[in-house]
Amino acid sequence: MDSFLTAFFSGTSQGAIYALVSLGLVLVWRGAGVVNFAQMGQAMFTTYIASQLIQNDYSYWSAFVIALVSGAILGAIVDLGLMRPLTSRKNSQLLNSQSMRTTIPVIASLGILGVLKAVAGILWAGEERGFPSPIAANALTIGDTTLAITGFDLFVIGVVFVTLVLTTIFFTRTGMGLAMRASALNPEVTRLSGIRVGSVRTLSWAISGTASSLAGLLVTPKTNLSPNTLDLLLIVGFTAAVVGGLNSLAGSVLGGFIVGYVIAFVNVYSAPENVFLAILVFLLLALFIRPQGILGSKEVRRV
Amino acid sequence: MLIISNLVTEFASIKALNDISFQAKPGCITTVIGANGAGKSTLLRTISGLERPTSGSIKWFDEELTHKSVESIVRSGIAQVPEGHAVISQLSVAENIELGGLFRKRIARGDLAIATKEVYELFPILFERRREPAGSLSGGERQMLAISRALVSRPKLLLLDEPSLGLAPLISAQIISTVNELCKSTGLTVLLVEQNANTALAVADHGILLALGKVIANLPAKELIADSSLRAAYLGY
Repeated sequence: MDSFLTAFFSGTSQGAIYALVSLGLVLVWRGAGVVNFAQMGQAMFTTYIASQLIQNDYSYWSAFVIALVSGAILGAIVDLGLMRPLTSRKNSQLLNSQSMRTTIPVIASLGILGVLKAVAGILWAGEERGFPSPIAANALTIGDTTLAITGFDLFVIGVVFVTLVLTTIFFTRTGMGLAMRASALNPEVTRLSGIRVGSVRTLSWAISGTASSLAGLLVTPKTNLSPNTLDLLLIVGFTAAVVGGLNSLAGSVLGGFIVGYVIAFVNVYSAPENVFLAILVFLLLALFIRPQGILGSKEVRRV
Repeated sequence: MLIISNLVTEFASIKALNDISFQAKPGCITTVIGANGAGKSTLLRTISGLERPTSGSIKWFDEELTHKSVESIVRSGIAQVPEGHAVISQLSVAENIELGGLFRKRIARGDLAIATKEVYELFPILFERRREPAGSLSGGERQMLAISRALVSRPKLLLLDEPSLGLAPLISAQIISTVNELCKSTGLTVLLVEQNANTALAVADHGILLALGKVIANLPAKELIADSSLRAAYLGY
């Protein structure tokens, strides 16, 4: 029973972080049709910014907020500075083919990842450093019983829960949220409704940047911070997005939690070295059984 | 008044629109007819900014529209209802209507509520089904929804691309007569593109016959209906 609870709680708090990563990926995929491989590079970079601020005696919370804002700015810069000029060039032989038009931004995102890692290495050196958590990571106790969950885990779950509620309200209750959903579903009808689809797209990049930046801040107290730490998180987050459905926001969150539990249970009941294998097997199974994802919808192609 | 002069739109050096000029009078329906591939949809898509013309000009009264973005053209009062009952099927009926007025939300919140109420009065079935996804509507209801989405932006010029496509004759006649009443009561200008010439010309003041990207005839609608030789030559009936 103890090991079950350990796996359950760690699965929930890790799953919450995967859900954020996966949400970030899905936002950009739906909004711009790009799988953004640079996403966790952006998060790594903003976590370094927070780490630097904390070293310079800023409080944890001001560093936290500044990192989230830089995440949004960095996301918007990637779109405005690179993705938009890359896809909107006229008279380019290369861009006339549809397959290149969709491939180029993905390759560009790999390039951004490389640049961000290199710059982080130059600015902050390559070795691992710790990243503080605002709440002690001690196991909670009730009376004499020690629970399988730490205060920090609860903090992570709480922050992600609030984020997801706010995101849901934003998408379902506000005009801008409606504009974002509409742009993702049918850009032409949305433009014909007078909505500036380009700006909406930049906003998707910014929100995705903030979500992944938050994931970086929440995961590094456990994993430490180096230019490469968050690579694994991208792979797991991508798996979560595929499992949940790449075109569904709710699916991405669900996928995050499912993958979180798979990893936690394999970790506890099997061995940590099997986690990677388990993710891969799980991804393959998901693709065989439901390739469009749990909540994803099949793409309808009219001929 | 919509003034189109010497408009040319090319797709990979094929002239889909080849030197088109005509005017559409305000408060009236102008119908553009022509066979498949005559350039009717390209004409509407060029006016709304979805396609860029190679040369020529499009003016709404004194306002030059030729190089404006789609979004700015909509915001200056020109709304297009694209071909094929273009609604966003995953969004609810109410959300589709809301989308059409979203850009005015800050500047004219009060009027937006009135405009929304008006389209629900015009098409009461949409009010009944407002919470359902637009994908569950019938073809005719979808077309009503697509028109409503355009109407809540309070357009001065409405571009309708084959509203009767795929609809039962009775339903398409009903939709066209609703649009006609709207023009009479509000002074809306309509540019109506149709393959189904008779219903469309019956309500129109003016008719334009397109073939292979050129204007073949530009006549009062009654005369165009009466001219059986033109119809036989260019529409095949």
